Amino acid sequence: MAGGQVEKRVKYKSSVKDPGTPGFLRIREGMLLFVPNDPKSDSKLKVLTQNIKSQKNTKEGSNKPPWLNLTNKLGKSHIFEFENYPDMHACRDFITKALAKCEEEPNKSAVSTSSEQLSIKELELRFKLLRENSELQRLHKQFVESKVLTEDEFWATRKKLLGKDSIRKSKQQVGLKSMMVSGIKPSTDGRTNRVTFNLTPEIIFQIFAEKPAVRQAFINYVPSKMTEKDFWTKYFRAEYLYSTKNTAVAAAEAAEDEELAVFLKPDEILARETRQKIRRVDPTLDMEADQGDDYTHLMDHGIQRDGTMDVVEPQNDQFKRSLLQDLNRHAAVVLEGRSIDVESEDTRIVAEALTRVKQVSKADGETTKDANLERLERMSRLAGMEDLQAPQNFPLAPLSIKDPRDYFESQQGNVLNVPRGAKGLKRNVHEAYGLLKESILEIRATGLSDPLIRPEVSFEVFSSLTRTISTAKNIIGKNPRESFLDRLPKSTKDEVLHHWTSIQELLRHFWSSYPITTTYLHTKVGKLKDAMSNTYSKLEAMKESVQSDLRHQVSLLVRPMQQALDAAFQHYEADLQRRTAKSGGERPNGYI
Amino acid sequence: MIFKIEDVTVYFPYDNIYPEQYEYMVELKRALDAKGHCLLEMPTGTGKTIALLSLITSYRLSRPDSPIKLVYCTRTVHEMEKTLGELKLLHDYQVRHLGTQAKILAIGLSSRKNLCVNTKVLAAENRDSVDAACRKRTASWVRALSTENPNVELCDYFENYEKAADNALLPPGVYTLEDLRAFGKNRGWCPYFLARHMVQFANVIVYSYQYLLDPKVAGIISKELQKESVVVFDEAHNIDNVCIEALSVSVRRVTLEGANRNLNKIRQEIDRFKATDAGRLRAEYNRLVEGLALRGDLSGSDQWLANPALPHDILKEAVPGNIRRAEHFVHVLRRLLQYLGVRLDTENVEKESPVSFVSSLNSQAGIEQKTLKFCYDRLQSLMLTLEITDTDEFLPIQTVCDFATLVGTYARGFSIIIEPYDERMPHIPDPILQLSCHDASLAIKPVFDRFQSVVITSGTLSPIDLYPRLLSFTPVVSRSFKMSMTRDCICPMVLTRGSDQLPVSTKFDMRSDPGVVRNYGKLLVEMVSIVPDGVVCFFVSYSYMDGIIATWNETGILKEIMQQKLVFIETQDVVETTLALDNYRRACDCGRGAVFFSVARGKVAEGIDFDRHYGRLVVMYGVPFQYTLSKILRARLEYLHDTFQIKEGDFLTFDALRQAAQCVGRVIRSKADYGMMIFADKRYSRHDKRSKLPGWILSHLRDAHLNLSTDMAIHIAREFLRKMAQPYDKAGTMGRKTLLTQEDLEKMAETGVQDMAY
Repeated sequence: MAGGQVEKRVKYKSSVKDPGTPGFLRIREGMLLFVPNDPKSDSKLKVLTQNIKSQKNTKEGSNKPPWLNLTNKLGKSHIFEFENYPDMHACRDFITKALAKCEEEPNKSAVSTSSEQLSIKELELRFKLLRENSELQRLHKQFVESKVLTEDEFWATRKKLLGKDSIRKSKQQVGLKSMMVSGIKPSTDGRTNRVTFNLTPEIIFQIFAEKPAVRQAFINYVPSKMTEKDFWTKYFRAEYLYSTKNTAVAAAEAAEDEELAVFLKPDEILARETRQKIRRVDPTLDMEADQGDDYTHLMDHGIQRDGTMDVVEPQNDQFKRSLLQDLNRHAAVVLEGRSIDVESEDTRIVAEALTRVKQVSKADGETTKDANLERLERMSRLAGMEDLQAPQNFPLAPLSIKDPRDYFESQQGNVLNVPRGAKGLKRNVHEAYGLLKESILEIRATGLSDPLIRPEVSFEVFSSLTRTISTAKNIIGKNPRESFLDRLPKSTKDEVLHHWTSIQELLRHFWSSYPITTTYLHTKVGKLKDAMSNTYSKLEAMKESVQSDLRHQVSLLVRPMQQALDAAFQHYEADLQRRTAKSGGERPNGYI
Repeated sequence: MIFKIEDVTVYFPYDNIYPEQYEYMVELKRALDAKGHCLLEMPTGTGKTIALLSLITSYRLSRPDSPIKLVYCTRTVHEMEKTLGELKLLHDYQVRHLGTQAKILAIGLSSRKNLCVNTKVLAAENRDSVDAACRKRTASWVRALSTENPNVELCDYFENYEKAADNALLPPGVYTLEDLRAFGKNRGWCPYFLARHMVQFANVIVYSYQYLLDPKVAGIISKELQKESVVVFDEAHNIDNVCIEALSVSVRRVTLEGANRNLNKIRQEIDRFKATDAGRLRAEYNRLVEGLALRGDLSGSDQWLANPALPHDILKEAVPGNIRRAEHFVHVLRRLLQYLGVRLDTENVEKESPVSFVSSLNSQAGIEQKTLKFCYDRLQSLMLTLEITDTDEFLPIQTVCDFATLVGTYARGFSIIIEPYDERMPHIPDPILQLSCHDASLAIKPVFDRFQSVVITSGTLSPIDLYPRLLSFTPVVSRSFKMSMTRDCICPMVLTRGSDQLPVSTKFDMRSDPGVVRNYGKLLVEMVSIVPDGVVCFFVSYSYMDGIIATWNETGILKEIMQQKLVFIETQDVVETTLALDNYRRACDCGRGAVFFSVARGKVAEGIDFDRHYGRLVVMYGVPFQYTLSKILRARLEYLHDTFQIKEGDFLTFDALRQAAQCVGRVIRSKADYGMMIFADKRYSRHDKRSKLPGWILSHLRDAHLNLSTDMAIHIAREFLRKMAQPYDKAGTMGRKTLLTQEDLEKMAETGVQDMAY
């Protein structure tokens, strides 16, 4: 095992029945490598040790060959057949060691110090949360890695985050932009007639979603018949032909070029989807049903040209597509939202994923009776008149705002924003006051004039008053922290905020540990207390370090934190005293 | 709640009732007692439909000895579904309180296309091909043939229905179209024929206007309804138009070509029959001699659309001798087609009365008036004799025969107009010969004569005295109700100027002015940024909407609108419009917010509600006048002037304003609802236009809101929306009760209705 590496001759089997590929197994501390003898074989394998979940092996003495079965975290297993048992044992021991080492490391993957076995899914969720939320990550690092809290304790208070809701919430998808794809304007270089289109994955996604025919054409043609670039060039050529509204030219070009014709023809996939959807619309909206009921639509019945109807240009021209249709289609796609979870740069993957999604939803539409039932239920609900009956209590849907603080801070910012048009006139309160005073004096001297007060003066006074009032309210109001925070240097601000969250975390754990019923809690409280006093001194230090003009405000900010900590310390001391007093005679309260 | 109106115990499915609903019921009951017709205008958003349904069903319950039947006519299928939805609610309530004796049978009736459950038939694209596909499987001779030839395809649903014969009945209940289909599928019975059959047993029938007004349809579907029926025309403000449409036909060049092809086919069939089955033709001839155009009792599946002329105008005599023989009839039709073709070749617009048209037809083609009159019946008989099932193929010849019968039957109230092209597109030759009806009372007369009570009701029937004249009937009750408001939940405004203070209008000389288009756009851009959820815009016509949206797209205004809300548009394609509406609703439901662009007089304006969050603001761009240069409109105006002394301008304004009121009225559904209405045209500020708006809008139109510019409108909108967001007392304050409870009603019964909150 020199150099922390073993190398053995093995046969690799991807399943039990696989005859196996002969080759070498090389195990290092971090990973496991299988190199087949036949360089052409594709069963080359590389497994990171930390991805291995467990290993099994056949017993010596049983009549089975020496097999080692490694299961990775995805549940896939790799089977290696060794030439003899000692080889296998050597490898097994090595892997065991490597695995143990892996777990010992303060690596994020090593969480199994707790008694309960965590499922892989849960672990992944935790990582995901940590990745997404930097604040949480920081806390985690600070407390778990410095062993103030154990992993489980840390997560125990965040069960909600780990719950089902969060899984769904974390999947909340970003919607599509409302802008029309036709809104993308080509850029020209000014000298030649050449135009350049800048296509982003988002635009491509939209084009594919809105025009299934283009998507289908892409799958059919690229890359077998043309390159992606040619494809898009052709597409925009077709779009250009549309925009010229010259159907004759479009028809002529389409006749020559069958690929171009695909873009110019009416979208058949879309028409099919439409037919599907029309069966599912709310019957109280279904105007299509009228068409079947209205006998005046019988050819040439009813009144044709009385001016109520519009003149319709012949619509049957197949190379004509109206802007209105495009708009409707676009809005429908935006409403549907991003239906696929593929964030790929590869256009083909996107196209295929979209096609798949459409097929699935189509299959759904045919089978689900629930949707139908729900529709009828909805209809009967809407049939009633709302204020003539007792209020119906509809279930509430939770708002999904990712970080409420972002939202409220941005709202507050709006209040403080200077009204439009006043940007050039920023003056402070005193100036405004001065102006007002001046004009009062003027009125005294010259009497009332028209206008009474010059508009800019009144505006000035008004706006600065508004501003003072709103800031004063913020300062005196319930949440003094936020308005000062903006004035603090960024590092200090971050520090304050971080301290605040970490104190909250600590206090939450601290108070939830009482009453202390086990020794485990006892030690935990001890650790927490140490951490808290640590933070306390840090707060003090921060107070000292800030600039003098901000010190007062910072100390105002810090005071409630310190008070909260003080209360905790007090409680700790009191509890400790009571316990030492009690521990002499009887057993501590509730101690089992 | 349960209360008494005089001797009738009314079962009303809600805990509270609006005072105007109560009033409405009282008036309606009086009309029913008097067995007369009535005309009732009540603003939208006050629950007309439910008040009407609960009174009439309760009236029926209180008179068990002479049960009345309710025939409820809606303009569209989706309104029909909505009405049935409300009826379901009511029926559940009544059954809960009264037990099984309150059970009724209520059905919605529609065409084959909407009721068919046979997937093979449904695969056909439009109504006519569905009808034809159905006939191909259900016609009596097809079924007879199938007994010999097992390869002939039949419809299992129809066969099962026929097998069940008289046992095929619907159990009591309220059936929407969807329910009917589900029932039919379940039992294996054809829902269409089942529903048709149940018409005579049902207590409530809900169907579209045409089933009563169009003689072609009414003749087969509504002919067995008893006199003791109450007929209701809901949303009847356009009823005059429906009436004249029902009796109007036009002939184009394609119609003539198609008709010629049909005649060739018929000719071939006749020859074939002559060779194989000459007896049939002879039998037909004998029948015609006896004066029976049709075999006495046709099975339901063989029925055609009935004669286009009204039943009382159809002569009950033998078919004239010169068209009794099939070949002769074909010859007559050929001559008719030829004559029509010659007339279509004109280069000038021609207007003629039916009398002179018939006489020139007689002198030039030798076809008498009486022959013309029988064309339709003769054709129908011939096609049955020839066992033709693909009826959709034969539409052109039917149209021509329709035309012939109408022109032969009516001497007044019609005119024939031949136009070589549409004057708005003079470069495209498209000759058309139109027989247009001007007299709305013709089509509705049999309805008034036949049924004891006809109720005409809508949100906008003002001026209410005009309708009895247009439809020539005498109502026993004619009333317009006001709306009692808990709070000012509607906010109408007249916007006369844009953000640059220049006037806006869709007047012909101004509508394409870029300044006006921009001002209209800016108005919307500002509004979508402050109005939550749904916004609806109505334009005066498709072409105008098309143009303005294209301009907005080019100038970037559309993009600005899209930053706030999704945009959906009504197009000429009904399917697409339906989907757009569906998406619009979903966008409003999910909070994304959307704008819907629509057209006054379009399909959406006619029957789709934009209540609650589906419409917080309606913008009516322009005054939706009819195209006044239209020859048909001119002819109609002339007729109105000569017959009823209605001035041209008055009628046009009345018509435009009822459309505008109809568009904006769609935002309110109940008093808890609220919405703004912007009339964006300077012409609305003029008194002669504005005063034609219904009273419930006028009473909320403050003087200060009569002449606004965009910025002022924005300000008012903000204020209004803020005010509406506050909680309020639903029952009404300060002595004015706008929501009555059971006790209130009982108290009122003691003191007399006069003490009402009005």
